[in-house]
Amino acid sequence: MIGAGFSLTLASAQGGDEIAFACLFRDVQPALLRYLHVITPEAEDVAGETWLQVVKGLPGFRGGEEAFRAWLFTIARHRAVDAGRFRSRRPDVPLATETLEQQTTPDAAELALEAISTRSVVALIKSLPRDQAEIIMLRVVAGLDAADVARIVGKTPGAVRVTAHRALRRLADLAERAGVTH
Amino acid sequence: MPGFPFPGRPGGEHDEPLLDMIIARRALPPDAPEPMHDLARMLAALAGPAEPGELAGEAAVRAAFSRAASPVGISPAAWRLGRRRRPARYRARLATALIVVAAGLGSVLAAYTDVLPGPVQQLAHVTVAAPAPPSPARHSRRASRGWSATPRPSSSPASGPAPSTAQAQPAGRGESPKPSYKPLLSGSAGRHPTGVACGVIPQRWPSPPPKASAHPSPPWWSEGEKCTGIPSGPKAAPTLDPYVPLPGSGPRGGRA
Repeated sequence: MIGAGFSLTLASAQGGDEIAFACLFRDVQPALLRYLHVITPEAEDVAGETWLQVVKGLPGFRGGEEAFRAWLFTIARHRAVDAGRFRSRRPDVPLATETLEQQTTPDAAELALEAISTRSVVALIKSLPRDQAEIIMLRVVAGLDAADVARIVGKTPGAVRVTAHRALRRLADLAERAGVTH
Repeated sequence: MPGFPFPGRPGGEHDEPLLDMIIARRALPPDAPEPMHDLARMLAALAGPAEPGELAGEAAVRAAFSRAASPVGISPAAWRLGRRRRPARYRARLATALIVVAAGLGSVLAAYTDVLPGPVQQLAHVTVAAPAPPSPARHSRRASRGWSATPRPSSSPASGPAPSTAQAQPAGRGESPKPSYKPLLSGSAGRHPTGVACGVIPQRWPSPPPKASAHPSPPWWSEGEKCTGIPSGPKAAPTLDPYVPLPGSGPRGGRA
């Protein structure tokens, strides 16, 4: 999170300052990519399409840092849905390796050998049900509040809170069994 | 919550404040269960800084931003204009309306400049108070002199009234001027209309220098006489007397 300097950075980027735009990119891109790794196998491609749309809509954006993140992750989710539809129309395309990993629970022994890295945690979260994994990523990684997440995923804030709690309990169970946190 | 591994917590509902603290990335109390601390550390690692390879797409995104950051591409006004572009059917209607308006204005302008054909000019005279269509004599005079169709202003003597043989004829020769020429004559009444006409013509429409021709003009045909229409040659002398005796008739004094 950029914090207090976000408004100035955003205004500079809207005025065409490439350095300011790079600051926005470096601040949001890691969380965006991790979120997309959870919800789509084409994370890098969808991230690129998301940023292209952000570039187009940036001059007209109005709001603070949380609103900017909510806007960006909304775009990313739409692009991921589009990518999923495109993938479903072409069933002859072989599934990516990450898709196969998503369908199986991570190997506990393999995860135990790894340290607490971002990739291992992302792989663990991908083993959760889709809605739980997405809400955890949006709430914890993207830093959005329950209302923004509810708007993005199409649920009520109360449902988002309950789903997030349920996901965290299940994640703690998986992590203990896998030994990731030890 | 069956199967939940937190020790000492038979139900999951009691851990909700701790879960909310984890989601909000706040520090847990020291007496929180160890699995809660482990979960908080794991999610903190998930929200950590960028790892190698995660910013690999920065160059492409910055290049796209540079392309879009041109003065036209980055301007909010340009974006709004792009979004508000009218559909093709509205543009076609607008173009049609503009063409109709232009044609109407052109027709009115043509009517007021008296260049329309006679019947159309008469219609314009009736409908939009345009000048009346010119008489056939005026048409024939224009055609013979090759003038432009645009009439010249005749109200000011300095601008030079249009020369005409009918106007230049001396009064009392038995020919009354055409009705359309009445204002011209009345505007220059008592100021030697013939002289005004002749004095202006060479300045406004200078004729080319005379060339050696195989068919020279008669010696009595001069430039100044050409515009007056007054025969100054040996055939007849101008006179203001309205009575011209016929050949063979007796002198006027004899009749009295």
